[in-house]
Amino acid sequence: MKPTPILKPRQSVGVQIVQNQSVLVLPALLICTVFIFIPAFLTIFGSFYAFGLTSQNWEPVGFGNYVRAWNDDVFWIALRNNIIIVLGSIVLQVGIGTVLAAVLDRGISFGQTFFRVIIFMPMVISAVAVALIWLIILDPNIGILNAIVKSVGLSPPKLGWLGDPSISIWMVLVVAAWQYTGFMMVLILAGLQAIPNHLYEAAALDGARGFRAFWSITLPSLRNVLVVAILITTIGGFKVFDLIFVLTNGGPANATQVLGTYIYLQAFTLTNMGYANAVAVVLLAIAVFLGWLQLKVSRRS
Amino acid sequence: MTTAPRFRAVQLLLYGGVGLWSAFVLMPIAWMVFAAFKTRREIFTDPLGMPQTWTFDSFERAWGVGLGQFMFNSIVVTTGAVFIIILVSGLAAYAIARSTSMWMKLLYLLIVAGFAVPNTAVIVPLYQMVTAANFSNSLFGIIWVYAAYGIPFTTILFFSFFLDFPRELEEAARLDGCRPWAVFFRVVMPLSGPAIASAAIFQAVFIWNEFLLALLLLTQPDRKTLPVGILQLQGEFTSDWPAVMAGLSIATMPIILIFLLLQRSFVRSLAGLGK
Amino acid sequence: MADLTLDAVEKYYGAYHAIKGVSLKVEPGEFIVMVGPSGCGKSTLLRAIAGLETISSGKMTIGERDMTHEPPWDRGVAMVFQNYALYPHMSVRDNMGFALKVARCPKAEIREAVENAAKTLRITEHLDKKPRALSGGQKQRVAIGRAITRAPDVFLFDEPLSNLDAALRSQMRVELGRLHKQLDATMVYVTHDQTEAMTMASRIVVLNEGKIEQVGTPLELYNHPESLFVAGFLGSPKMNFFDGKIVDVAGKALTVAVPGMPTPITLTLDDDVQAPAFDSTVRLGVRPEAVRVGGDIPASIALVESLGNQTLLYLDAGALNCVEAESSDGFITAQLPSQHRYTLGDTVQISWSPDMLYLFDTSGRRLCTPRLAVAK
Ligand SMILES: Nc1ncnc2c1ncn2[C@@H]1O[C@H](COP(=O)(O)OP(=O)(O)O)[C@@H](O)[C@H]1O
Ligand SMILES: [Mg+2]
Repeated sequence: MKPTPILKPRQSVGVQIVQNQSVLVLPALLICTVFIFIPAFLTIFGSFYAFGLTSQNWEPVGFGNYVRAWNDDVFWIALRNNIIIVLGSIVLQVGIGTVLAAVLDRGISFGQTFFRVIIFMPMVISAVAVALIWLIILDPNIGILNAIVKSVGLSPPKLGWLGDPSISIWMVLVVAAWQYTGFMMVLILAGLQAIPNHLYEAAALDGARGFRAFWSITLPSLRNVLVVAILITTIGGFKVFDLIFVLTNGGPANATQVLGTYIYLQAFTLTNMGYANAVAVVLLAIAVFLGWLQLKVSRRS
Repeated sequence: MTTAPRFRAVQLLLYGGVGLWSAFVLMPIAWMVFAAFKTRREIFTDPLGMPQTWTFDSFERAWGVGLGQFMFNSIVVTTGAVFIIILVSGLAAYAIARSTSMWMKLLYLLIVAGFAVPNTAVIVPLYQMVTAANFSNSLFGIIWVYAAYGIPFTTILFFSFFLDFPRELEEAARLDGCRPWAVFFRVVMPLSGPAIASAAIFQAVFIWNEFLLALLLLTQPDRKTLPVGILQLQGEFTSDWPAVMAGLSIATMPIILIFLLLQRSFVRSLAGLGK
Repeated sequence: MADLTLDAVEKYYGAYHAIKGVSLKVEPGEFIVMVGPSGCGKSTLLRAIAGLETISSGKMTIGERDMTHEPPWDRGVAMVFQNYALYPHMSVRDNMGFALKVARCPKAEIREAVENAAKTLRITEHLDKKPRALSGGQKQRVAIGRAITRAPDVFLFDEPLSNLDAALRSQMRVELGRLHKQLDATMVYVTHDQTEAMTMASRIVVLNEGKIEQVGTPLELYNHPESLFVAGFLGSPKMNFFDGKIVDVAGKALTVAVPGMPTPITLTLDDDVQAPAFDSTVRLGVRPEAVRVGGDIPASIALVESLGNQTLLYLDAGALNCVEAESSDGFITAQLPSQHRYTLGDTVQISWSPDMLYLFDTSGRRLCTPRLAVAK
């Protein structure tokens, strides 16, 4: 027979600051609700209406905005560009970042901090400043890229690096890689430095060194970090706005349009707020899925 | 030793590779600074060369746009938002980490869910809400918006920090006579320094550089933050490229300098996103 | 110095019953050691005394005061934790003086208390260091010093020595004993190490699965364990147990036959217990030091451990199988004084000294314990 406890059986008390601890969570919850959850809900809600920037009357259109997106070439171009940026960034940022991190970790014997600081530096500069600097570097009249290309005897693209629809998206990738590769490198470097040295020593005793060791020790131990790095890059690639807004504003002829800039264009330039919401819901769905994936992966590691 | 020359060659190759990328990273920044000192003519005639004379004329022209005001606004907004984020997330994370109730776990999951929502996806209602509440062009208003988007991640960071925080220290403090608030402020807080610094740097970098919300919510010239403000350089100085470059230099050099001084903390803080 | 009473203390973690009705009276100035296997609820009980866990039911007093619902900071207890729990951001001096500082004692008084405690523990030269600059042993002294400075009514220790190496541990055992005499304080000490219990305790409390098995002085428990559990837990190496059957009951004389033993053994029933039924199963206990070489039980030597002052033999006695043995193969452990030369595989004849035998019934309760006279 279990004796009836005098006090309600309860878990060990932690440090209880106030009687009802959930009070301490309220400010955080309140702020997030007002500025994240309500807007997110309104985005979904508003995607079923048509309304303008200042118009008071919301006209219900059902799934009309989604049908419109389905038939909208620019929407698909924007989505495709996001995917191009995601894939390109994974190859460039995670790829080069991994190589640089591996070199800094075990390849070179001094100067690691020096190189790490330099390569990471663009990460702390605002994307607007980065875009403005590159805008001028890539300028067809005064840009140094043209000057360099000409000085080695080649001819730069006639419409300019950002003006040529077939080149501009690749230039966006280069600028993004310039800014974020250092971040990826540092992320992966942290993962590399967490690999215990005795693994390498054991591998060396088995005769695996250099690239062998990289292949059989480094990469497998790095799997989780790489997955997180790829996820962060993927999320970043879908959320991208600043860089493209300043660099090309989606142009030329929508060649660099992405979901972020397209939402802005529809909402604040063309004032199709309802339609902008529908596009935003697509972005929201992608981001929530990826965010959930990221939390799941990082909780496992 | 037969491996030595080969080893040296490999080292040289590796240094070459890393050096190449470093040069690629440094060049635009260096060029920005040099271009700021050039004259308008020089930029056209000799884009790759060094400036002939080192004058600060273009810096003065750029400053006239109101960079001082932008920088001040950025400082206000960043400090305010980071302060709120740290305080609010810290309390929430501590309460959740020290609680065993299912409700608190659910609240935690809810806050964490906010981490997945990108502001790009909710700008339409956010803009309308802030405008309707007459909070556009208010630094005080945007501080709360920024705080909201920093709280989820910071709460996650602090939560795992407090979970790992040795309980015995808190228990020892209680036996030493500390009331709960005293436990928090005399033992937990002093030992959370590195975690707080890490979270603060992370959020500061992002808020300092945030563009989209600032673009939408701060349109009045004297309310703009740096990222929106420097965009004005482009319009203001059509073809006055040295002034644009000078403005960019003024805007970016402080943060680069702070980064160089605190690089270890910066790198550790931002690499924390990978955890 | 104060007394401490626990009255029918119960603790549930959800549905899990961690402490099952513990009642105990600790006299002022006693050194109580609670001992038991890990997971038996020692820490839970100690933390309940400190107020770090609530109890589900029961009552607890310190001195005359009912402390059942008092918060930890009002109980007048100090605790020394297994992993020291020193505040890393404070110097040793501030660590030791923290409780007094929180209580707003005058600075001079704190200083004096800290320095006195430091002198007692011989850590005066470390007072201005940070904890991370100290070795494990020094940290443990500081942790003890932090408790001493406050002059609490009751000292609580939760396995304070288990993070130290063997040499330091035995040194600290002696020192804690000295400290207890010097401070003349009430102490409750928790450990899973029976050596610590045997060497330091005024009284030992043996805990098993949240219940008190037995309370008594070390030798009382060693000589007259109430249960099979206590008999097996105290003493190192562990007691040998054999399953047998009662083949004769004649008044107080019980005769037990154990499969594999050539002759039945006769023991005298303890005065205060009922005789078991004829043919009932019993368990015979033989301390390793009661195993003698020379006798009528043949056994081959499976392992020899020469410790210098004693020799441990692990013996394979064929059909005579040890149950609950330390080694799973049912070997008998024999502890012989001084040094011997034995070869593995040799066969020896063994027997037990007849006045060192224990007998328990199937539920593990005591039937017979040796009639040892403890020299005063
Ligand atoms: N906070 C808790 N929640 C649930 N079960 C617990 C908790 N703390 C301890 N227990 C359980 O209570 C039992 C006793 O634990 P404890 O007192 O720490 O044992 P000991 O100190 O004797 O090793 C263990 O089985 C443990 O799993
Ligand atoms: Mg324990």
